[in-house]
Amino acid sequence: MNPLKSTESLKELMCSYYQSFKTPVAWCTSAGPAELLRAFGFTVYFPENHGALIGVTRTANHFIPLAINAGYSGEICSYLTCDIGAYLAKSSPLTKAYGLSSVPQPDLIVYNTNQCREVADWFGFYAREFDCPIHGIYPPRHLENISSAEIDLVVHQLKDLISVCEETTGEKFDQDRFIEVLRLSSEATNLWQQVLQTAKSHPSPMTFFDGTIHMGPIVVLRGTQECVNYYGTLLDELNERIKNGEGALANEKYRIFWDGMPVWGRLRALSDLFAKNNAAVITSTYCNSWVFDSFDLNAPLQSLALAYTQIFINRGEETKLMMLKKWVEDYEIDGIVFHDAKTCFNNSNNRFGLPDRLRKETGIPTLVIEGDLNDLRFYSDGQNQTKIETFIEQIAA
Amino acid sequence: MTDHFLGIDLGSSFTKLCVIDSDDKVRFKTVFPTLSRNRHKLQENLDFVYEKFAIQSRCVTGYGRITYADCDVKKTELICSAVGASKDFPYRKTVIDIGGEDVKIIACDGSGKVEHFHMNDKCAAGTGAFIMEVAEKAELGDEDMSQLAKSSDSAKELNSFCTVFAKTEILQWKFAGVPPEDMAKGIYLSIVNRIVKMSYDRNLPVILCGGVIDFHPYISELLKERLPMEMHVPEDPQYISAYGAALIAMREADRLKSSAHLVSSVEG
Repeated sequence: MNPLKSTESLKELMCSYYQSFKTPVAWCTSAGPAELLRAFGFTVYFPENHGALIGVTRTANHFIPLAINAGYSGEICSYLTCDIGAYLAKSSPLTKAYGLSSVPQPDLIVYNTNQCREVADWFGFYAREFDCPIHGIYPPRHLENISSAEIDLVVHQLKDLISVCEETTGEKFDQDRFIEVLRLSSEATNLWQQVLQTAKSHPSPMTFFDGTIHMGPIVVLRGTQECVNYYGTLLDELNERIKNGEGALANEKYRIFWDGMPVWGRLRALSDLFAKNNAAVITSTYCNSWVFDSFDLNAPLQSLALAYTQIFINRGEETKLMMLKKWVEDYEIDGIVFHDAKTCFNNSNNRFGLPDRLRKETGIPTLVIEGDLNDLRFYSDGQNQTKIETFIEQIAA
Repeated sequence: MTDHFLGIDLGSSFTKLCVIDSDDKVRFKTVFPTLSRNRHKLQENLDFVYEKFAIQSRCVTGYGRITYADCDVKKTELICSAVGASKDFPYRKTVIDIGGEDVKIIACDGSGKVEHFHMNDKCAAGTGAFIMEVAEKAELGDEDMSQLAKSSDSAKELNSFCTVFAKTEILQWKFAGVPPEDMAKGIYLSIVNRIVKMSYDRNLPVILCGGVIDFHPYISELLKERLPMEMHVPEDPQYISAYGAALIAMREADRLKSSAHLVSSVEG
């Protein structure tokens, strides 16, 4: 594997982000309306990033039992169960990684169910714990085509959120400030899209596994200048690699697409396994979830509503199939891996026949591996290694 | 001395060795527990093979392949089963390989090229380990279990896919005085239910292989009743993967020879 030099600035940026919390603090889902919150001067904390950190540090299974003990099923979202469990244990990976004594306390909690209903229950727990105001955006779900009526509904909900923010901060909504945040967010997300698109090159200068690490700022810092700067730097490095014909893998023979959640506790093992077999997992639905290419400064609220409603996870099966086919074509993919995450029903796209339809329509082999985002009790190393090696052999033959 | 090729299948329950000659004929085969108390068993068998046969190359497969170093090529058991089953069944088919800890459904072409595959999820239900665990609780001897089950006309099934809960159910059956033959058949029906739930191309013939079919042949009869496809059981179904590994070892030897030949002609 060929490590990216930008990783050092990424670490510094994430460290400075986690040192930056000051009142008022808003909690937000990763594909929630962070731009509106920043426009009100909130520093924004994202529990999903915390969940991913718990996953990467392979501590989820210490915490999940505490959430189960508090009445949550062990088979619902393991971000939710490990995060609530960590809270109940008064523990956080932020302490070791960034010196924080705990997660920042919220003044307002905001979620968007565009990704799943679980976020409402997850964030609702904290609203009760902190006796904190909470507001949810509930867009229509699983959409094929998106109508203006559906966007109007979301805009209406965003306007309600504006009123809640005004009440919480005591400040009037400043449209110019919002547009400026949206401009920065748009710039960052466009750069992130270009970063991901470098994987169209042969060989690809980055992998999905790099993406899962370098996506940190687009999740937690979109709407800031630092985020724009970071992706400018990362893009330069990747373009330099392309210019030099330098790939993320020493010998990229096969190009793989990853659908679904990462297995956070097995990023390195999976990255090494694919690399050892000369297979580059070059792109994913997951990392593309933070490409919001509909932001429009001339229609800020409408475009915000559209951008957050049209994400892959919120689409119907036909649209998902179409989007996957386009990725397969654009990135010249040889095989697609679907991760069936036991506790993430909403982001396991293999359960309604999509892999079979995709395979029939593209002729590209598909593989389903069972696992989980954070709960490694649902992941079998030996079995998945056998599946992945067979799959690569199948592609190679 | 004739050239020979060795397939080593380090399965989760049993290790199978298979030696073939250049005409694909099996010259030696043996099976023994993978993790027996006698840790030297594998080496003793390998010593015997190396002494008796001129082994040109070795292919290792099975879960144990990952850490096993003394070989020329490693392939997964899915690849090996597909190649092994294609020798006698050289047409498009589904290979169902029921092993110690997994069930593999492999769609492959006549040459053994894998076109698509499924495996059971992370659960031992439907596998050899399930039968061993549950049969032990039912106090059934493994060896006569198939005959025993065949004599039952009961349709009583174990409802649970979970090995632990299945054992609890068996305990209830024992308390209720369910005869051993009905318990044996019930265990098999549970396996069959698990296997028929997996995804197949229903237009392709099926080749059944793996240790479970070898030890529990009645399962193939029950599967034939439940699945509409034409179904075949090869001779020595437990050795199909090791045999496939031996065939792959032979291909590898040919490949090494031709690249050595290429190098020598370039150097020459």
